[in-house]
Amino acid sequence: MNSSLIMLEISVIGLGLVLMLADLFVPAERRRFIGYAAIAALGVLLVTSLSGNGSCGQFGTAFGGMFVNDALSLFFKQLFIVAAILVLFMAAEFSDKLAEGSVAEYYSLILFALAGMLFAASSNDFTMLFVSIELITITFYVLVSFQRSKLQSLEAGVKYLILGALSSSFMVFGIALIWGTTGELNFTKLADFLVKNPDVASSQIFLLGVLLVLVGLGFKIAAFPFQIWAPDVYQGAPTPTTAFLAIGSKAAGFVLLLRVLFTAVPSVTAHWANLLIVISAITILYGNLCAIPQRNLKRLLGYSSIAHAGYLLLGVAALSASGQSALLYYLAGYVFTVMAALFVITLVMRQLPNEDISGLAGLNQRSPLLAATLTIAMVSLAGIPPLAGFFGKFLLLKAVIETAHITHNHGYYCLAFTVLAGVVISLYYYFGVIRAIYWSKHPEDMSPITLSSPAKFAIWACLTGIFWIGLFPNTLLNITDLAAAALGK
Amino acid sequence: MKNELFPWLILFLPLLSATVIALFTLRSKTVSSLISIGAVAAGFVLTCLFVNANGIHYSGETSVNWLTIGGLNVDFGLKLDALSMMMLFVVTGVGGLIHIYSYSYMDEDAGKARFFAFLSLFTFSMLGIVLANNFLMTFIFWELVGVSSYLLIGFWFEKPSAGDAAKKAFITNRLGDFGFLAGILMVWGLLGSLNFSALQNAMVSNPAALGASATIAGLLIFCGAAGKSAQFPLHVWLPDAMEGPTPVSALIHAATMVAAGVYMLCRTLFLYNADALHVIAYIGGFTALLAALMAVQQNDIKRIIAYSTLSQLGYMVMAVGLSGPTPAMFHLTMHAFFKALLFLSAGSVIIGMHHEQDIWHMGGLKKKMPVTFWTFTIGALALSGIPPFAGFYSKDSILAQCLEQKNYLLFAVAVFVAGLTAFYTFRLFFVVFFGKEKTDHAKHAHESPLIITAPLVILAIFATIGGFIGITNNYGSQFVADHETLSLAQQFLEPLKTPVPMFIGIGVALAGIFLAFALYKIGDKDPLPAKLGGLATAMKNKFYFDELYEATFIRAHDFLAAVADWIDRWILEGAIIGAIRGGTDLSGRALRLAQTGNLQTYAFLFVLGVALLLYFVLGK
Repeated sequence: MNSSLIMLEISVIGLGLVLMLADLFVPAERRRFIGYAAIAALGVLLVTSLSGNGSCGQFGTAFGGMFVNDALSLFFKQLFIVAAILVLFMAAEFSDKLAEGSVAEYYSLILFALAGMLFAASSNDFTMLFVSIELITITFYVLVSFQRSKLQSLEAGVKYLILGALSSSFMVFGIALIWGTTGELNFTKLADFLVKNPDVASSQIFLLGVLLVLVGLGFKIAAFPFQIWAPDVYQGAPTPTTAFLAIGSKAAGFVLLLRVLFTAVPSVTAHWANLLIVISAITILYGNLCAIPQRNLKRLLGYSSIAHAGYLLLGVAALSASGQSALLYYLAGYVFTVMAALFVITLVMRQLPNEDISGLAGLNQRSPLLAATLTIAMVSLAGIPPLAGFFGKFLLLKAVIETAHITHNHGYYCLAFTVLAGVVISLYYYFGVIRAIYWSKHPEDMSPITLSSPAKFAIWACLTGIFWIGLFPNTLLNITDLAAAALGK
Repeated sequence: MKNELFPWLILFLPLLSATVIALFTLRSKTVSSLISIGAVAAGFVLTCLFVNANGIHYSGETSVNWLTIGGLNVDFGLKLDALSMMMLFVVTGVGGLIHIYSYSYMDEDAGKARFFAFLSLFTFSMLGIVLANNFLMTFIFWELVGVSSYLLIGFWFEKPSAGDAAKKAFITNRLGDFGFLAGILMVWGLLGSLNFSALQNAMVSNPAALGASATIAGLLIFCGAAGKSAQFPLHVWLPDAMEGPTPVSALIHAATMVAAGVYMLCRTLFLYNADALHVIAYIGGFTALLAALMAVQQNDIKRIIAYSTLSQLGYMVMAVGLSGPTPAMFHLTMHAFFKALLFLSAGSVIIGMHHEQDIWHMGGLKKKMPVTFWTFTIGALALSGIPPFAGFYSKDSILAQCLEQKNYLLFAVAVFVAGLTAFYTFRLFFVVFFGKEKTDHAKHAHESPLIITAPLVILAIFATIGGFIGITNNYGSQFVADHETLSLAQQFLEPLKTPVPMFIGIGVALAGIFLAFALYKIGDKDPLPAKLGGLATAMKNKFYFDELYEATFIRAHDFLAAVADWIDRWILEGAIIGAIRGGTDLSGRALRLAQTGNLQTYAFLFVLGVALLLYFVLGK
């Protein structure tokens, strides 16, 4: 056994425990600063992993093949850490809306969820998959309902809990069926088994098992028809939770989806092009259409995150390495964009009772930086060059069209067309937000919004990410190509 | 390549300056202008150091891979050779002097910081064109020049005429750029690369590589040059662009933007076949003639100089078309010196006259503004082509090129235009600086401060000696393989090698000056309209090109626009979009109904989804 491979995960859990303990010794009014210590610690972990020294840069398998470190897990782990750092920044700004002194718990829960995501990135076994998903989900039940004094937050928590439990039960049932029909839980071994026993691979019971696992993962990424929880939970949850849910939880769902579809059951996936196309197309249309009438900004982003799950599914449906690479690229851009948007929402809406779009009025005079940031985030989400969202969408579409050329499956062309239609629809509501910032009637409260320097730092980091990914695609493309190549092995 | 970093710094410092000013220092005029001046001055120093380290005859590229999509591989690269390095000197040197001049000229303007941000952006864009090593980069910076010139020309946007002029410049340029882009795509389609060196190799190894479409491709690319360098029939934007502040006129219309077209033609000279060059030469010659005629009857000091710019650009384009890139670039550089000098001197006059620009309201400024008078005199002599001033050498080399190519028609045109040039330049000169003061402003005119006159003096020095300090040697090495380097004395006497064009050139210039002297020495008003009648009116009204375009293209365009507007409003937006939008909106609202907020419903829908999924996959 090679337990040195999981040093990163152990460090993160350890850090979470330390934060919980620190809670005991630090006076309530200074607890938000614990977050900066956590950020610093995560920053150290990120730098070590980027410089190739950390445990996640050490490739190999552990725990009898349950845990794997490869280029794909490395990519996702770095992504998760970046996301967690930005979420911690956001949580520090949000702390005065949480119950007195409870922010340190909030920080440590974020770290536990992060640990779950790190494990998910390395899962190579259905047991591992289930455990890491549950670690993420259960932590999120608490994170969603953390604003205990706010009814909406509690309601969102209950909804997430019950629907999450439902989806988990489907998933665990699916895993049982897979185990029952094949006797394998390890992804790599399962793939070998299916090659040797093609009759099992086409048996209804086995396929049912795989589908039920997909139900569970579909719930995590909020793909149609398992998207129903997303808007309510996104709206009700504390904003940093929403951010982590939109990025971390979704990305974890995607890494597991990639592993299951392309490592564990590639022979089955090859027949499911049409299924994936249909799910992707409906998810895009559903998310974008429902976002149109929304007045609440977080709810709007909830629907938009459904639409983005649909875009990301394009990379899965393409069934090619370039599609997977495009998916990873898109996720990287998505992290910075969504973080930027939700960061602005956190800062602007702190004093407001709800997150109505009308609350943005006059923002361009109250804080030009925040106004510009939200505008850039919206424009990037809509996919306009030269920002991150454009290049990601471009790569996804390119991958889909390439596959269409090779397979002559006209469904792919329909999917590409759906994406274009979806983008056009999305322009409508994204620009509605921009219009609210710059061209709506000014409210009475025109006091300038002051930003703390950590918040400024985080916002500039997000902006840099959005522009960098949009303007200089090559570095990141090399990384995502490598990561996608790890799947095929 | 030694000091490989320097060209990158030269290119990006102005962008940095523009960004810093726009984001941080917009409130401080002084800091902003110093940042901007510092950026371009540093660019000039770095250019000197770079050329000093590598030598002017160095040739090489430095590039980073920008993006690779399928077969298209785009570098972000800088090409450094004699051509681009000389242009670096012109852009950062002459441009730098104009920056310094602007410091004082724009002092009282509330938007001074904004002005310097625009100037820096413009400098960045122009340097990008100069340094680009491939067509895509050229095009991107080409458009950036278009945008930044739009901002600069329309700087006083509260004046409707400035806004209109900015729009006119931008749209006219866009027309040319459309052809340019089509040409670039054509070249890429036929040769499979956008890199200049790769294209040149492809053309050298197989001169017929462009096949039957060589002429079309060449002329399409020339469209871009015709837009930026204001060649007929896209020349209409340049005179109107005088609405911008005078330093802008000097920068855009003398030293940089209009030079971009000629520079690009020289950069890509290997692409054009004989037919394309023929068309280019005649368009250049025609523009030179047309603009010179128009200049004769203008009364606005800046507009006269603007028309002379048009006319000189015609010379350069004609020289390129006659396979003479060296004379073209030589004249371009000389023109940058003396035309910037003339514009800035005119600016000095305009300040002295309290923003009066009509020459018939001036007069007798010789004594009031002695420095400006002398620098203007030098500029006027250089423009007219009087030895030993800069313009004489370069114009003579173009005349010689006409004869060498045995194109006697264009030679005649060039000679006639040379005479006209001397005539209208000295018409301006006599009316503004001699005779009686015609208004109170002229009586109270005063000399400008040192920060304005110092750039004038520096430019005047170069307008005097520029013709024989080795500039033509540097360009020669770029275009002619066995170019021999001439010593200072040889260069000084170079025109004597071809005495025919030299004597004819000097002769017509002197005749032009004499005619101007005779007509305008004391004149309070213009005697020409009486003598020329209808012709003078036509010249004054720029041969009615604006009206012609107004009556044809703009009318037709307005009509098409009205039709398109009707279709857009009623059919597209009313019927089609209305239906789609309504449908989309409605479906959005309908789907929202599913989102009841009721947990039981959610769980039911969830399980329904599972059932649907299972049926879809397993049920068939």
